[in-house]
Amino acid sequence: MFKTKKMQFPACFVTIILLVVVLMPIGCATEEPEDPDEITVLLDWSPNTNYTGLYTAIEEGFYHDEDLKVEIIEAPGSVAQMVATGQAEFGISYQEEVTFARLSDIPVVSIAAIIQHNTSGFASLKERGIESPADFEGKSYGGWGSPVEEAMIKALMENHDADFDQVDIITTGEVDSLIVIEREADFAWIYYGWTGIEAELKEMELNFIELREEEPALDYYTPVLISSENLIAEDPDLIERFMRATTNGYLLAIDRPETAAQHLLAHAPELDEELVINSQEWLADKYQADADSWGLQDQETWEAYSRWLYEFDLIEEMPDVEKAFTNEFLK
Amino acid sequence: MKKLASIKANLPAVVMLMSIVALWELVCLTAKIPEYVLPAPSLIFIALWENIFLLLDHTKITLIAVLGGLALAILVAFILAMAMDRWKPLKQALYPVLVISQAVPIIALAPLMLIWFGVGLLPKVLIVALVCFFPLAVNLVEGFSQVDPEAIDLMQTMHADRWMIMRSVQLPFAMPYFFSGLKIAATYSVLGAIIGEWLGARAGLGIYMLRTMHSYRLSHLLAAIIVVIILSLIMFKLAELAGWLAMPWKRESNNQMEG
Repeated sequence: MFKTKKMQFPACFVTIILLVVVLMPIGCATEEPEDPDEITVLLDWSPNTNYTGLYTAIEEGFYHDEDLKVEIIEAPGSVAQMVATGQAEFGISYQEEVTFARLSDIPVVSIAAIIQHNTSGFASLKERGIESPADFEGKSYGGWGSPVEEAMIKALMENHDADFDQVDIITTGEVDSLIVIEREADFAWIYYGWTGIEAELKEMELNFIELREEEPALDYYTPVLISSENLIAEDPDLIERFMRATTNGYLLAIDRPETAAQHLLAHAPELDEELVINSQEWLADKYQADADSWGLQDQETWEAYSRWLYEFDLIEEMPDVEKAFTNEFLK
Repeated sequence: MKKLASIKANLPAVVMLMSIVALWELVCLTAKIPEYVLPAPSLIFIALWENIFLLLDHTKITLIAVLGGLALAILVAFILAMAMDRWKPLKQALYPVLVISQAVPIIALAPLMLIWFGVGLLPKVLIVALVCFFPLAVNLVEGFSQVDPEAIDLMQTMHADRWMIMRSVQLPFAMPYFFSGLKIAATYSVLGAIIGEWLGARAGLGIYMLRTMHSYRLSHLLAAIIVVIILSLIMFKLAELAGWLAMPWKRESNNQMEG
């Protein structure tokens, strides 16, 4: 083997490596040198009708009119940290996450409530006969098994003098909730505007126990738009421009859900069209609901949920809710 | 002759795969399993066909991360393996660290990478590099250390310097080791990129999979898995091809072996 005199092996490698290194920047260099301020919005899940206003604002040129170039990136699991560290200007979060983040010294602030009321709740197949939280007794719950979920079930059951210890908690994680309630457990926590609509399309008959109907403190904001304390202090003008365009995006989604649905589908053609269109119709009057204008947040909502978290020992101290949210960019 | 033999060799795998697919289709048809539980292969192929261009767009993005990460891993593996071979204390210090680095679950590390390096291409390239680097480095170190000491002695009596020995004895000797590492790394690389995208990205096969999963389109999700499998196979074959090109002295002996 050692007889071979001249080896050509490195030449071929070096060529491959060089090719890749040279070609890589070509692949990435898609951004044109332009004037608009480039901002990033992080999503906490895959594109869905919660985010329609953002896509609508892009497609209708609302951001363009404010001299903004918006990039939307899916980053489930690390939105709050990345917004706080300035890796992105804005993100989608929810009141619970903002509360926990702030108590862990992650300085994010909620700047708009995307949907005015909590549309989530506990779903089960009609045939299981779970019509009120009292019926949770002797049944099984499939979810992430987080302390907050357990506390929610407990709170709802206590309101009906039912015994939480008789609920079997099963961790089902990422498994599709509709499959969970069919096969793994009796009830699961879903967002009606997406999973509930999917069940309707599949003609599954559900019982749905809405959180806010059972416990007013659980009518918290989900989802919300967040930014960082830093950006609010340093560039409020940027946030104002972003929010003007975003507000217009959501207002259009409220007025013309079918157009908005097409804008969302244009950015995420992977989604099921029927689900998007139906979900969009269902959500249209829920973005703003009874608020004076889209996005407004009420201090009492923030306080009530914080108190609830505190009462159930989920947080050790009460957060300063006045710093957790602001309506100042919703002019 | 050789072609015929290779078709013959692959035949059992093809027959096996086809029977699995046929059985799967049959079960879905007869048991009337709903699509959101287990889509029939025919539905998956329809989804694949209808979305082929969309899938290719996402594949391009993923491929950039795969190739970038693999290139980085090769570069770093060569540098570190050569350095560890040259300075033994370095090997003693670094080798255990390399092993430890592989015990860290990538899925837990990836969110941190996003926080440190943002949501662009870089964190995905780094995750791919991290996954691919280990089999490459370990095999190279192994290859360098397995060189016949007499060959090195011989070179030294001829006053060859270390670089000369490395270039004409150690590197060629380590090549088969390197390429078996590369085959493993290339197969893992696609998975690494998808994990990276899963945690934060604008596009890519990982994003495609998440989006279809979250809109309950199981047949589309499985279509993406087919693309991932094909991509991994292509990467594997490319690694094999690179080995074939880089080691001309191995070709003949292989041919002889295959008859």
